[in-house]
Amino acid sequence: MDMNGKMREEKVEETKLPDTKEGKLVKALIEKASYAEGSVRRERRVEFNVPAERIHDFLELASETFEMLMQISVVDWLKEGEFEVVYQLWSVSEGAHAFVRTRISREDAKLPTVMDIWPVAETYEREAHEFFGIIFEGNPRLGPFILEPREYEKHPLRKDFNMLSYVKAIYGDDFDRYDESKTNYVI
Amino acid sequence: MAERKDFGENDGVIHYELQEFKLFEPLFKWARKKSLWIVAFCTGCGGIEMPPLATARYDFERFGIMPNPAPRMGDLFLITGYVTPKTLKRIIITYEMMQDPKYLLAHGSCPINGGVYWDSYNVVKQLDKYIPIDVAIAGCMPRPEAVMDGIMEIMRKIERGEADGWKRYRENYEYYRRNQDKLFGEGWREKEAKRWLAWI
Repeated sequence: MDMNGKMREEKVEETKLPDTKEGKLVKALIEKASYAEGSVRRERRVEFNVPAERIHDFLELASETFEMLMQISVVDWLKEGEFEVVYQLWSVSEGAHAFVRTRISREDAKLPTVMDIWPVAETYEREAHEFFGIIFEGNPRLGPFILEPREYEKHPLRKDFNMLSYVKAIYGDDFDRYDESKTNYVI
Repeated sequence: MAERKDFGENDGVIHYELQEFKLFEPLFKWARKKSLWIVAFCTGCGGIEMPPLATARYDFERFGIMPNPAPRMGDLFLITGYVTPKTLKRIIITYEMMQDPKYLLAHGSCPINGGVYWDSYNVVKQLDKYIPIDVAIAGCMPRPEAVMDGIMEIMRKIERGEADGWKRYRENYEYYRRNQDKLFGEGWREKEAKRWLAWI
């Protein structure tokens, strides 16, 4: 027990936040939200890992220093069976860019909307919903957005979307990357 | 073409040149060649090659080429890059709004076979299946010299009377229409037209 405690202390010593503007930013936020992990990647870049059930609380807290939501991006980790949703925040007052990462399962991809914090999130959530099928609960305008209606159901940026068979079904299968004798693959 | 059969005389073949004007045809061809007004549909990356083409170094105005805001007055339709299904709808409608004779110049490899987007779900692979291309410039992206060469080629073709994409579009309209309907679904024109009415 004691040993373990000591080990943990040492580890904390190792990953101590640097004594910079970014380190102070992360430290202040982590003190308020103990469930989140934070780190400094480099100058003007900070990262947070937050469990999905607390993401709304955390973003509400973070919005005091990070006034602006720049983007919501999604990474599809197929083997882990998870989506990684990255909220990219920008602090106008501090000049720092924050990645707030959270992971949700692919089968039951649901997150609370952050439209009440940043109204601009509506567009980004619609986009993430259309390309990956994540449901943002509370967003009133989820639905077909940019893509053709037939693509909306398929969520084409998911890793398990079979792009080539879809392309051949839509545009005809008379195109491929073989030369005229059908022996050499050209690209 | 079924309803055209009632007219009998032409048997569905449309003649574009009036017999009386046959004498002046070389003059018309020269005039068409020397006054190509472009409808620059800046899709994809070729739109960036347009400014050097228009400015002092390559200066396409010395060939009588002029940028032109309205498709009704345009002769040459430049498709400057990859074409998505949504863009293709606009391209087809714009192309049909242009007056005959009209010529279509496709830049780069994307309109030919998809280019680097060959397995993308959202890029049209062969533009020639949906509207007729007169000259296609290969390359990714063709430099202004290559575009200039393509324009010279289309001028030569006009002089020889080979730039007949607009005739092919009329004669094989059913083929093009079938491909378009296959991609967009039946009745897409009416749907699109409704959305355009406010701007037309």
